[in-house]
Amino acid sequence: MFSLESKVASVLKKHPYNISFRIRDNIVFLEGEVESHSEWVEIGLSVGRIKGVEGVVNKIRWKGSGREVEKEEWRRRVFEEKRSTVVGEYDVVIIGGGVVGAALARELSKYELKVALIEKSTDIAAGTTKANNGMIHAGVEPPRGTLKRRLNVKGNAMYGRLAEELGFRFNRVGSLWLITPRTLAAYRKYLPGPLYSLVLKHVLPLVVKIKGLINGVRGIRVLKGSRIFELEPFATRDAVAAVFIPSTGVVDPYEVAVALAENAEANGVEIHLATEAVGFIKENDAVKGVVTNKGVFLCRYVVNSAGLYADEVAALAGAEEYTIHPRKGVLLVFHRDTGVFTRHCLAEIILPQDPYTKGGGINPTVHGNVLWGPTAVEVPDKEDTSVSREEIELVLNKYSPIIPGFPSDRLIRFFAGVRAATFTEDFVIRPAKWVRNLLHVAGIQSPGLAASPAIAEYALEKLREMGLRLRPKAGFNPRRRPMVAAASMSLEELDEKTRMNPAWGRIVCTCEFVSEAEVLEAVRRGAKTLDAVKRRTRAGMGECQGSFCTLEIALILSRETGLPLNQLLKEEGRLFNGHVRGEHV
Amino acid sequence: MKDVAVVGGGPSGLAAAVRLAEKGFDVAVIEVMGELGGMLEQCIHDGFGTKVFGETLSGPEFAERFVKKAYSLGIQVFLNTYVKQVKAGGRVKEIVAVSPSGVQRLETRAIVYAIGCRERNGFEIRLGGTRPAGVYTAGMVQRLVNLYGVLPGRRILIMGGGDVGMIVARHLQLEGAESILIVFPEAGFAGLPRNVQQCVLDFGIPFKPRTVVKRVIGKERVEGVVLTRVDEKWNPIEGTEEFYACDTVILALGLVPYTGELKLGVRIDPATRGPEVNEFFETSVEGVFAVGNLVQVFDYVDDAVETACIAARGVEKYLNGGLKTSPVRLAPSGKVRMIVPQRVEWVDEENVVAFLRPAVEKSNARIELRSSGGKVLERFFRRYVRPSTLERIEVSRSVFSGQREVETDIADG
Repeated sequence: MFSLESKVASVLKKHPYNISFRIRDNIVFLEGEVESHSEWVEIGLSVGRIKGVEGVVNKIRWKGSGREVEKEEWRRRVFEEKRSTVVGEYDVVIIGGGVVGAALARELSKYELKVALIEKSTDIAAGTTKANNGMIHAGVEPPRGTLKRRLNVKGNAMYGRLAEELGFRFNRVGSLWLITPRTLAAYRKYLPGPLYSLVLKHVLPLVVKIKGLINGVRGIRVLKGSRIFELEPFATRDAVAAVFIPSTGVVDPYEVAVALAENAEANGVEIHLATEAVGFIKENDAVKGVVTNKGVFLCRYVVNSAGLYADEVAALAGAEEYTIHPRKGVLLVFHRDTGVFTRHCLAEIILPQDPYTKGGGINPTVHGNVLWGPTAVEVPDKEDTSVSREEIELVLNKYSPIIPGFPSDRLIRFFAGVRAATFTEDFVIRPAKWVRNLLHVAGIQSPGLAASPAIAEYALEKLREMGLRLRPKAGFNPRRRPMVAAASMSLEELDEKTRMNPAWGRIVCTCEFVSEAEVLEAVRRGAKTLDAVKRRTRAGMGECQGSFCTLEIALILSRETGLPLNQLLKEEGRLFNGHVRGEHV
Repeated sequence: MKDVAVVGGGPSGLAAAVRLAEKGFDVAVIEVMGELGGMLEQCIHDGFGTKVFGETLSGPEFAERFVKKAYSLGIQVFLNTYVKQVKAGGRVKEIVAVSPSGVQRLETRAIVYAIGCRERNGFEIRLGGTRPAGVYTAGMVQRLVNLYGVLPGRRILIMGGGDVGMIVARHLQLEGAESILIVFPEAGFAGLPRNVQQCVLDFGIPFKPRTVVKRVIGKERVEGVVLTRVDEKWNPIEGTEEFYACDTVILALGLVPYTGELKLGVRIDPATRGPEVNEFFETSVEGVFAVGNLVQVFDYVDDAVETACIAARGVEKYLNGGLKTSPVRLAPSGKVRMIVPQRVEWVDEENVVAFLRPAVEKSNARIELRSSGGKVLERFFRRYVRPSTLERIEVSRSVFSGQREVETDIADG
């Protein structure tokens, strides 16, 4: 048997750099200097793949990398200012209000516990969650031996009930993976003559089906010929076979996260937005309080579900066990009228997978839009959500062959999100090794949204193992009143509602048919920014992309919050930044 | 039942409504906003009305004349009312509209759509970079500044050398913006010459032709843009990238007919991006007319209003059972980018008014109408034509008789 030390050493030897390392409790700390960011990623991944490594803290510098001195300075200053202002005392403080933090908050709200969820942004789901494609994966893809695999299939199965309880939209549309002559083109030379089509038609689909079965995915079917096009009439006629996975679903990711958070709040969880952890008050090997820009949250347990910033939060707590390497995904949004072209989550199997587009596909949404993507590009900056023309072209070229007749000129928006991947490329849900009362819920990459209900249950179990006492709350109400949309009402319903409340009849976003009443309801439920209103109501998500309604929404927000127009926020930045006429300069 | 329902209470809709009411028809105007006047309400600069009234007015003044007239003629006005559905298959058409007083159904014999245009946004030109606060369309800025007295930002970059971009630039300059730069990919401004002089040159506002924004930079709020020079084909020239610091990016990328809001299957002309119309601005659905910037984006509100007046005559003919013959297609070709109307089909005596946009810049030009055999049927001389100026021609009816298609082109004079 080789020791972990010798395995790491031998992996590092393959890279042409002098990288030093140390290992503590199966966590590998790397130091050294390399040329480029991509080498930084590559070395981290090669160490992360070693069996037995539970985390990679990658302190290797690359040319152009730098410490975020300003941020560290700011944290120190805020820490000193706020360390003696107590906000409250809690059993559990959750750091990070993405879908995972929100799901855990809701899970904890089932018990007699005082819980606070803190989120640095101005809204729930404002990080990685909001830029997700909304797919609820069935669970065919995660490799054996991963936590992702265990929690994906389970999480998927939980969605039906969750959607019903929380009143968010969930369509179990199923996915269809097409096999075409392109699928194994890279291996053509090994599969001469009729062997190629035999493998394509019969062997590969079966392999995929068996992989799914092993992972516990039920109902997978292999389709051939016209059966494919009965299910998906616009799919490329190149498809010789397809694997149909019925349990795949789609949701609106921020609707899910907001619903979870609202229900958690209704059941007693405190949600603190614009609240950012800057440090921890510790006693020996335990956290006593989370220091934030709002003051100290004293706590018995801390959960780190800070997504892209989980590594920084862990480091602040003395629990640095992993480094996040941000991986950007670009998504294209097509107009609602393209929804007729896609019934399922549609993808073409191409082997080997293109590292920049793996995992992507063509997805319907619960609103009728169609999404293409995402890409998968390692980026140095956690907040690099930029999209270039080249990236748009890449996605268009990759997916156009799957639906040849798709009107790709109906592209109305593009955006990018950044995944919070660790170098072990699996979920990290475990007690911190060197901090007694901190639970990591980190490295939640795809299929994190699908797995999130199961992640919450699993994390709860971990907290119980760490000593958290769970007494069920008698008054827990699992149900949330859903947001009602004028767009999904019959005219009779809308008429009736309008007669009781005229705001229902004032349409502020004509592209998506959103009424003033919906905006008011979003504000009443806690939306304070333009984007928070947009995510809850869809105002601004249509063809004109907000050029008509932005100002209308801003006026309502201003009226309802009492903030003047030039102090409103889009998400974190000022929506309008200039002076007011008369209040000169 | 109404004789005519006009959808859209901007200048074109109001002009149509007023004309029809003057002819004695029972007219309703349906407007989604809280007041009549449409986009003119935010256009507080002057230059409106030179053709219609022979004087130069501000946008609100121009609109006011039609608003007053509409009310004095007793036209029924529905404000804050959004047209949700239209059934226009038969002689009796039904409009379902939503307003704060409920869902209403309105029966009418004819419909005039006058819902204008929308602004092109950054996604349509695949503007790269991030999507922070501080990126706006020009019309939104105009509304923000002129109606609510708030400036969008301090250091301004304007993309687009058309009329709207120039007018907004002048306005922000007058309101005390710290810096303004206009960039556009063309060699010169695409807007009207009078605006180049009065809005840009007179105020010394800096501009960069053959320049585009490669990407927007900024996380929470715009921090700047990366500019790049482009060649004649608008391809970026390598090595010309430069950072420009600003907190605001204003998109003046042009206007598009707002056909997304047409609730019927009317045929759309890919060249104008508006509905195809005949010489009385009737769409491909009988009894449904489209006027103003919905049909194609006009340089002057006066021209948009003229389409409404022509359509009013068409509505009258339609309601009185006027006759049609087999349609003659009116098509652009070569040096003409687009033409409205796209077909001529009514039995009528009067000349056909057409608007066409040249694809070329040329002095001493002849706008020609030719038969499909290439025979010149009518020609119009122009001292100067250019893509930024829409040309209005009045074509004799006789040109169309016996033809199936008439082509328009521009030849040397």
